[in-house]
Amino acid sequence: MLVLTRKLGQNIVIGDGIVVKVLKISNNKVRIGIAAPEEVPVFRQEVIDKIKAFNYMASGTNHLELKSAASFLKHLIRY
Amino acid sequence: MKVETQQFGELEFTEELIVRFPKGLIGFEDARNFIIINHEDYEPFRWLISVDQKELGFPLLNPFLVEPNYGKDLPNALVERLFSAEEAMDIFCVVTIKGEGGKVTINLKSPIIVDYQTKTGEQIILPSDDIPIAMPIS
Repeated sequence: MLVLTRKLGQNIVIGDGIVVKVLKISNNKVRIGIAAPEEVPVFRQEVIDKIKAFNYMASGTNHLELKSAASFLKHLIRY
Repeated sequence: MKVETQQFGELEFTEELIVRFPKGLIGFEDARNFIIINHEDYEPFRWLISVDQKELGFPLLNPFLVEPNYGKDLPNALVERLFSAEEAMDIFCVVTIKGEGGKVTINLKSPIIVDYQTKTGEQIILPSDDIPIAMPIS
């Protein structure tokens, strides 16, 4: 991992057109601005982790439970 | 072709039904090939069944069934394609079922987009912080 020290207001440039800027530093928080091309998605790590955990839980779905949820849902939803 | 499934036992299918996910699913990056099963016992859910990994399957639900305004959360270009007559596309969200009562939650944050013309699929992540990853629907 590349480790850099930056001061408030300083930038890091990554590849073509990605700029990371240190906007605010306070106690144990850093506010960061990221400018990236539209095709480069930027997410918080926790979001990815939560989606992974959700997918993992879904992958273990018992088909009998889904069947009973399906019959229940049919009464709630018109489709 | 055949695949061993938890839901349907040994399942036989033709190759043209396979939808390729070049990036896999989030957290399941190695699972690249799936079939989407619509079986009356599970309606309105579908099953996204892995052809590569034995007994790997994800229950899916059309998000518009539970969130009629879901289109506002999606990129405009995608909404246009989803509802275009020239396209053959579907959008699904992964669901989980928790506990004895069968509480169903849906992940609206990262829907699965399927393009039947190119037979490819992708699980995208929507940028807005307001879209829930696990929304209860029952």
